Amino acid sequence: MIFPFFAVVKKELGSVLRDRTIIISILIQLFIASFSSGLLLGMLSLYDADTIMRFSGAGIRIGVVGDASAPLASLLAERGLNIQTFSTLTEAQSAFYNGEVLALVDAPQDADGLVEVKLYLPDSDTVSSLIRMVIQEPLKQYENVLRAERGIEVRYTDLNGKTATSFEFVYSVLIPMLMFFPAFVAGSMSIDMITEEVENKTLQTLLSAPLTISGMIGAKIASAVLLAIVQCVAWLTLLELNGIDIQNEAWILLLALVVAGITSTSAALGAAFLQDRERSQFIYSLLLLAGVGISTLLNISPITTLSRLAVGDAFTSGWHVMVFVAVFVGLFFVLLRTSRRLMI
Amino acid sequence: MNQTLVIAWREITRLRKRFGGGASPVAVILLLGVLGLSAYFLRDTVSLGSGLYRVGVSGNVPEISDSRFAVLEVSPEEGRSLLAEKSIDVLIVGADVFSREDDKSQFAERALKQYMEKEELVRVGNSFAEGDAFPLRVGVNYLNAAQPPVTDEAGELAPQTVKPEEVIIPSLTPPPAPFTQVLVAMMYIMPITFISIFFTSSFMDEKANRRLTILLSAPVTPFQIILGKMLPYAVFALSTTVLIAYLTKANIPLALMIFAPTTMFIFAIYLMVPLFYRTFKDTTFIAMLVTTMTTAYLVFPAMFTNSSDLAYISPLTLAVKMYRAEPFGWREYLLPSLPMTAIFGFAMFAGTRLLNEEFLMGYKPITRKIGDAIYLMMAHSKPWFAVTLWSLLVIPAVYMAQVVMLAFATNLPVGLILGATLLASALIEEVVKTVGIVVLAEHGVVKSVREILWLSFLSALGFLIGEKLLLLVSVSVVSQANVSGALFGAGVFLLIPLVAHFFFTALVTLLRAKLKFPYWLALGIGTVIHFFYNVYVLRGGA
Repeated sequence: MIFPFFAVVKKELGSVLRDRTIIISILIQLFIASFSSGLLLGMLSLYDADTIMRFSGAGIRIGVVGDASAPLASLLAERGLNIQTFSTLTEAQSAFYNGEVLALVDAPQDADGLVEVKLYLPDSDTVSSLIRMVIQEPLKQYENVLRAERGIEVRYTDLNGKTATSFEFVYSVLIPMLMFFPAFVAGSMSIDMITEEVENKTLQTLLSAPLTISGMIGAKIASAVLLAIVQCVAWLTLLELNGIDIQNEAWILLLALVVAGITSTSAALGAAFLQDRERSQFIYSLLLLAGVGISTLLNISPITTLSRLAVGDAFTSGWHVMVFVAVFVGLFFVLLRTSRRLMI
Repeated sequence: MNQTLVIAWREITRLRKRFGGGASPVAVILLLGVLGLSAYFLRDTVSLGSGLYRVGVSGNVPEISDSRFAVLEVSPEEGRSLLAEKSIDVLIVGADVFSREDDKSQFAERALKQYMEKEELVRVGNSFAEGDAFPLRVGVNYLNAAQPPVTDEAGELAPQTVKPEEVIIPSLTPPPAPFTQVLVAMMYIMPITFISIFFTSSFMDEKANRRLTILLSAPVTPFQIILGKMLPYAVFALSTTVLIAYLTKANIPLALMIFAPTTMFIFAIYLMVPLFYRTFKDTTFIAMLVTTMTTAYLVFPAMFTNSSDLAYISPLTLAVKMYRAEPFGWREYLLPSLPMTAIFGFAMFAGTRLLNEEFLMGYKPITRKIGDAIYLMMAHSKPWFAVTLWSLLVIPAVYMAQVVMLAFATNLPVGLILGATLLASALIEEVVKTVGIVVLAEHGVVKSVREILWLSFLSALGFLIGEKLLLLVSVSVVSQANVSGALFGAGVFLLIPLVAHFFFTALVTLLRAKLKFPYWLALGIGTVIHFFYNVYVLRGGA
């Protein structure tokens, strides 16, 4: 009984390696990781004020009309911008047209109880976008100064910290994506492996071997999960080599394995009921989306659990992984009970 | 046309049968459930990092409903102890916030700052008069540095603003970033992709059940079969575009104009999947790959709308502009739309050539299958015509592949990005210029050195004409012309790039066809020499 099981596993793995389709899967993951990192890098360099200031802050020259010690000019200077003050707007404009400054801030003026500031930006989308990004924080601080003058206290203004975009991206997008994408692919593969036998009418031949239908499906799921886990180990190693600190690696691998088991079993269940690839893949895709939504709604999302395990959260442990183990066991039990539908 | 419509109607019937009965209600309920859940979570989605930070709170602290924070009620002493032992990342006691010096605590503090700023604005806005809560107005004006100010009636210099003044409240008006519009534009792509997967499945179904063979023996052309099967799905896809445009209050004709070429492009890509697949697993992997690549190609540039002219290579940038009510011209429209339409045309041509039983049913290594496909596309014409046309027509695909490579390369250290892009571009160009000649030589159509040299010249010529035509459109829109110049060989004299292309092509094809080098090795040698030529061009050498 056990030998035919491994024979099917070997046959499926051999087919994947021979067709080299697994290379495409790895390419997809590499591409998503690269693309996401590239996108993040690009977005940070264009839309994150701290990053803009770090790389090109000194080059952003702003002309301010009025006193250099006035609150707005001081806040702009404190932000690290290169400030030049002018006594009149005409002088400031000359400096703008001579290319001495990139943008102008006209002195604040009172108007009907409000304070008005005029901002003159160059008609270049890129430069004006960058200036609006870096000038946003001093303008908000100036708004708080004006609120304080009106007796309104805004709390938590002294908070600082470091830009968290990269950190959040790595631990809540990149690592879960790399750990769970193989699991999603494993589900699709399970459908392909099962429906191919049905649609090519080779299932009955396969079952003439000393192997039950459950054993056959189990072997196909096992091969898909095995491939997923090999990829996860490779990604974890690569991430570590890239200097990304990942905690609880053993639990993370177990979680990835269990999620691959859940997706593959759910997919196999769909294939057992529908018995054709087109509908099974469609329902599987929808189930996947629904699963992500529902698990987030119930606050037991594997993505959140994995993120927390990876950052070494003090309140997340192996017990959280066991919840998913229970789901996997339950689903597999249902599959064992229903897999005979394939023989009808 | 009549035959095409008959096939289209048969396709609708097939789909109705397949999704009729038991599976249909389940699918509809699931779809609605998924859509509802997605909408619910999109509403609450604040940012990345769900549950990433632990925050201890004590005393009168605003409710923290940001999904990034897991909140723990603690006493001040307990909180300090948990903070010190790194069990929580930040401690809030009333209006005071405590953090550690390590990175994670600092990241949490910054994330908290963003959240608290918003909460405080809501509190201040609700508690005070608008003029006191939001006392600052900033009038944003745009000046053209090349258009000096004029003297007004009072003798003062009046700046010439190029747009009407935009008045903003800084704390309520974040700087313009296209993320929301890109997300909305992505909503158009998702149903098109879903529908085109059904189109692929339909072909696979016919292929697996050998019905395609019967259809091919009927008095209909492969073109009619492909068009007929594609038609219902294309109509569904365009209907979803109209529906989304209507629901999001966008300009429907403009949305159709923007997304029709994109729809054609996506269908073209998905047409290739059933033609090339050997096993069901192939289909899944190939479909995933093309979905990922296509999404990246569409989304990546659009994120830089108004920051870089290169953003115009994606049609989503046009959609972002549409939602911002910003104008764009024909050139900006044609830059993404022409290559996509051209790829559709090329895919239809390839489809008609490859839709035969021998090719569809044969099980071969994927590289062999691609080689056979190229041969089938070329075999019906004279080699000189086929090779020239091939090099000319694959230009849009080369262009898109190079953009995708650029996205790949941005993952590398900054100093390596340009080098890697140039190397990948050289490789792609050498593949497309030489593969046709190599395939013809392997099938014995081309034999002598003289023939190979002649075809190499024609391949180089076709490629050069194609890239110059594309450059004509792109340079007028894309101001980062030095990069595109290096990628597409924008030399001043056409003779130098022509000679260079001829040399690289001839070298690779001769190494392969006459000296029997493995193709990858011949390509490698040609690519490295081409790379150094590109570097030379980029440094202003040609």
